[in-house]
Amino acid sequence: MVSLLCLLAIQESPAAPVAIEQRLARELQLRIGDTVRVRAEPGSPGLLMVVGAIYEPRSDPATVLRNEFHARFHLPDLADLLGAPDRIDRAGVSLRIGIDPDSAARRLDRLAVGFRVRPSAEIATESSRTFLVVSRFHRAIGVISIVASAIFLLCIMLLKVEERRLDAAVMRMIGIRRRTVFSALLLEACLVALIGAALGIGLASASTAVINAYYGHRFETDLRFSLLTPGIILFGAGLSLLLGVLAGGLAAARLVRTRPLVLWRRA
Amino acid sequence: MILLAARNLTRHPLRNLLAVLGIAVAAALLLDMVMLAGGMERSFQRMLLSRGYQIRIAPKGTLPFDTEATLAGAASLSARLRADPRISAAGAVLGGALFAPAGDSLLPLAGLGVEPEGQGLYELDSGTDLGPGDTTGIVIGVSVAQVTGWRTGDTVRIIVGTDPQMARASSERRLVVRGVVHWLYAARGQRTVGIALPLMRALTRAAGDRASMIMVKVVRDEEVEAVASDIRSMAPGVEVNSVSTLVARFRTRLTYFRQLSLILGTISLFVGILLVTTLLTITVSERLGEIATLRAIGVSRSGIVRRVLAEGALLTLAGNAIGLLLGLVTARYLDGILTSFPGLPAAISFFVPEPAAVARAAAALLVAGGIAGAWPAWRAARAPIAATLREEAT
Repeated sequence: MVSLLCLLAIQESPAAPVAIEQRLARELQLRIGDTVRVRAEPGSPGLLMVVGAIYEPRSDPATVLRNEFHARFHLPDLADLLGAPDRIDRAGVSLRIGIDPDSAARRLDRLAVGFRVRPSAEIATESSRTFLVVSRFHRAIGVISIVASAIFLLCIMLLKVEERRLDAAVMRMIGIRRRTVFSALLLEACLVALIGAALGIGLASASTAVINAYYGHRFETDLRFSLLTPGIILFGAGLSLLLGVLAGGLAAARLVRTRPLVLWRRA
Repeated sequence: MILLAARNLTRHPLRNLLAVLGIAVAAALLLDMVMLAGGMERSFQRMLLSRGYQIRIAPKGTLPFDTEATLAGAASLSARLRADPRISAAGAVLGGALFAPAGDSLLPLAGLGVEPEGQGLYELDSGTDLGPGDTTGIVIGVSVAQVTGWRTGDTVRIIVGTDPQMARASSERRLVVRGVVHWLYAARGQRTVGIALPLMRALTRAAGDRASMIMVKVVRDEEVEAVASDIRSMAPGVEVNSVSTLVARFRTRLTYFRQLSLILGTISLFVGILLVTTLLTITVSERLGEIATLRAIGVSRSGIVRRVLAEGALLTLAGNAIGLLLGLVTARYLDGILTSFPGLPAAISFFVPEPAAVARAAAALLVAGGIAGAWPAWRAARAPIAATLREEAT
């Protein structure tokens, strides 16, 4: 496979067609019907080709950062250009319906040496290993962020509940039961956690939009770099509510266990 | 002052412990992100310079070994380069697929044809190196030695190319293992072997004087860019990459990680500031009466400010100390994840624990601690003495 070919716009007799991607056409100001000289390396005579099609390639996260230009040729033309007749990098095989790809691949693999036959699913797994690594990294960062948020939330809830020492002391002194005081404080913690979660979702939506707009523009792609799915929203909101209730509950339990007079004195 | 601040903090052990833990996690994340931001580049640069070769010449428009493209006139170009008194070594490298027989199948090997007099790809672990023009020798990586059981001095069979029509190897050669080497740019577990460049050309039937890359070692580092520029003028049909060019290209490809580290680092600093500010604000609110009393008996505003700032600094310092240790542990874990990228050279690290990075993270957190304490300190200093005391009394 050749990563870069030299395309020079010239006016000579038309020849074999080449399809070029939109970005490359923009860069070289080429239009359908233009004749170009395509070289496998500088200085070589190359081939005269005519721009037969301009296409928008499918966005591929694996290549987006490489910022390469792509062109497509008929196989014999490319083989001529590279001086490698009858050689290919890979070939695809479409099986009849009902044929098991794994067993077909095993049978084909035994036919001859010099090539390896793999089912598409195996290739997909292999080529997505990079993204699995990134995904694992994101999960690890996510866990660290969750630990940080949990501690932060616990601390804030503790402070928030401790601020209510005087109220709690008064409530207990006028005969309101511990359970009622606890429930009131817990409810307050829930409310704070809910408001925080709603704000967090709003912030996440805004940052997702900014990230996608920025990277989409930068790499000229319609790929989405940040996804905020309903599942993620539910997970985030559920986790913050759970952590909020847990932290608020712990702080409230600590407060209602303290004697009202002690609370009064501390307040 | 510090003792007083420490005593004040021990009044609320649970909340302050939680705050220190929160700051510690933020500090750990910040340190990791500082290491991630600069570590990749430094590690990549260190790897490129591990044998002192500062320039790589590749086919036009490509990075070394990024594609299967090769450059023409390689050996003659490397010979011309060697004649330049500013260049101490230059060597062409040609990559190709080789195989070792393994039972009834073939073990694929990454083959590199090198000019031993100017190679910057490996370091000899044991045995001897290839000689210039060696047509019977091979050097193998540790992973090849482990898989095949080959040792120095063994005569081994190397298969080059296979013929699908005839269902057999297209050519085969018996070579003597000269030594076991450490490949500087190989991925983890990559099975790489090296032979002399002419032998590689003969085996792979590579047409003409072609190579995948030429490595150049310049005598004086300050002349690297000038030499690179001269090579560009001398051979306009090739891509001349100095280490700085390669690092810049690498940086572009890893933009994502640099930006992620910037965003997460900023968030962790922000979280740290928020935590310290919240805690100190509440603490100051609770102690307004005490602060007003201190002011009433003659303690200056700046004295109050210093006390609140000292509390903030103590919290940040304690969090920092735990956080930096935690950061080193998590960096090791995160590095383990990222270095499992397929095909990544084993010598590259994403998180490089360097004293400068640790110092930068610690300084950023200390400054953040100071900023975090500023608002509560200002509030404490501005508290009206009479009104506060009256309020406290009622």
